[in-house]
Amino acid sequence: MKRYSDPYLAGLGLGLVLLAAYVLVGRGLGASGGFASVVAAGTAAVEGTTRASASPALAPYLVRGVASPLGDWLVLELAGVVVGGFCSAWLAGRLRRAVEHGPQVDARQRMFVSIGGGALMGFGAKLARGCTSGQALTGGALLSVGSWIFIATCFASGYLFAPLARRLWR
Amino acid sequence: MRGLHSALAVVAGLLSVAAAAWDGRAPGVAVPASVDYIAAPDLAERILRGDPAVRVWDVRSSEEFEQMHVPTARLMTLAALADEPLPAGVTAVVYANDDRRAFEAWALVRRRGHRDVRLLRQGLYEWIGRVLEPRLAADATPAERTEFERAASLSRFFGGVPRANVERREVPVGYWNGEGAQAGLAEATRNAVAGVRRRGC
Amino acid sequence: MTAPFTETGVLGPAGGLLVAPLIGFFFGWFLERGGLGYAPKLAAQFYLTDLTVFKVMFTALVTAMIGAFWLDRIGFLDLRLVYMPETFAAPQAAGGVLFGAGFLFGGLCPGTSCVAAATGRLDGLGVIAGMLAGVAAFNGAFPLVADFYASTPMGAVTITELAGVSRGAGVAIVTLAAIAGFALATRIERGRV
Repeated sequence: MKRYSDPYLAGLGLGLVLLAAYVLVGRGLGASGGFASVVAAGTAAVEGTTRASASPALAPYLVRGVASPLGDWLVLELAGVVVGGFCSAWLAGRLRRAVEHGPQVDARQRMFVSIGGGALMGFGAKLARGCTSGQALTGGALLSVGSWIFIATCFASGYLFAPLARRLWR
Repeated sequence: MRGLHSALAVVAGLLSVAAAAWDGRAPGVAVPASVDYIAAPDLAERILRGDPAVRVWDVRSSEEFEQMHVPTARLMTLAALADEPLPAGVTAVVYANDDRRAFEAWALVRRRGHRDVRLLRQGLYEWIGRVLEPRLAADATPAERTEFERAASLSRFFGGVPRANVERREVPVGYWNGEGAQAGLAEATRNAVAGVRRRGC
Repeated sequence: MTAPFTETGVLGPAGGLLVAPLIGFFFGWFLERGGLGYAPKLAAQFYLTDLTVFKVMFTALVTAMIGAFWLDRIGFLDLRLVYMPETFAAPQAAGGVLFGAGFLFGGLCPGTSCVAAATGRLDGLGVIAGMLAGVAAFNGAFPLVADFYASTPMGAVTITELAGVSRGAGVAIVTLAAIAGFALATRIERGRV
């Protein structure tokens, strides 16, 4: 397994990718919006499109309205993320079927908590209109006020609650 | 690696300080913290009344303006907006494809000291969806029905065609009936305009 | 101005969609290269033992920020046509708090959870599943949160506009602060060894 790249170089690469997105398609990176699209599609499949699109939360993802192109673009982008992540790991010998966790917990506990953590992030990202990719990185580089509010509260929250999660990771 | 890090830091530092020194744009007064919007139906009513106090400014490109614009709107650039006379009592309305240009236009007018300026939040897309070509779904809620009735009466004055009893997916979605993300607004506007023009033929 | 290409006609809507997985590929590539697909590494930032996330994220942010400024300044990229999300101060602050807690417990964020899952880490799948559930919960609760969700709108405003300084000044301040932060991060990491 090869060592990870220098974080600053990885960051430089990531920044150039983000810049390329601004230049090519006039928007930045994102992730949580893609998840929202998937949930909307899933809800429509279960409830039927008519009933699902009556909900104001889902409507933008299900009709040819304003937010629908956003969702599709992000879903395609996330597909690329999966392939890119896989390729990088493969070439570096870092592919491994595992459940990563701290020494004091086991895989089962880790899986439960990961789902819970994901749920908090899903809800929070909807409220904040984005996540670390869409708000912190993309909006942050554009100096958007809301993005910087998100950066500050997100990391403050993580550090604040860290003692509660100590058993998970240390 | 340490040398590379230092080099990167120096380059970044120089580029950023140069940015501050040669920004080329005057900072001006700070922008007020909350935006005033105007809803398309409210704007439509004021236009219909012939309200002399309303000025509508389209800050998109001239091609987009020629294709279609809000009735009574004038094409405006940010540079021209800086010198445009703003008499007291005038309600300025600006719109674009809700990219930064619309917000900058709004902020520019506010910074000039003129308080009564509103942003038509989703621009022409909102105008088409809420005034010109309103759509009522077959399974609409009573609230949607009321909004549609208001829109339908406005629409006829502007030569639009309201349609009731359509499929849910033909009802345009924006911030007024959905959670309204804004990316993709330019494309949605292009599609909406194309739809209107097709009907015109 | 020549860019953004999708706004100036160089790229059509289909081209824009084709670009998405390409950009995503490199996004995922660099995330994995930096080690951000590995949850214990991401969580370690909150215990100040491994500040890789901070270094990667803020280097990326500063790079894109400086690049965007200069491309706009030389007339190549019209920043006014680049989509910037509107600010809604209160819900974004609240969302940040929830998200940060989730990030701490999940050890991965939405983007990196995809990288983790792609490299075989099942906890990545767990986070993805949780995220889908969290989004669905938000949708279900939307009527209750809708007013809060739409509160405190500030438009697509930048911190430099709010403060009344030039964009370039903001770029300089953020860059210099980030560099200072990197120096501090290196000290902190060494101090804990």
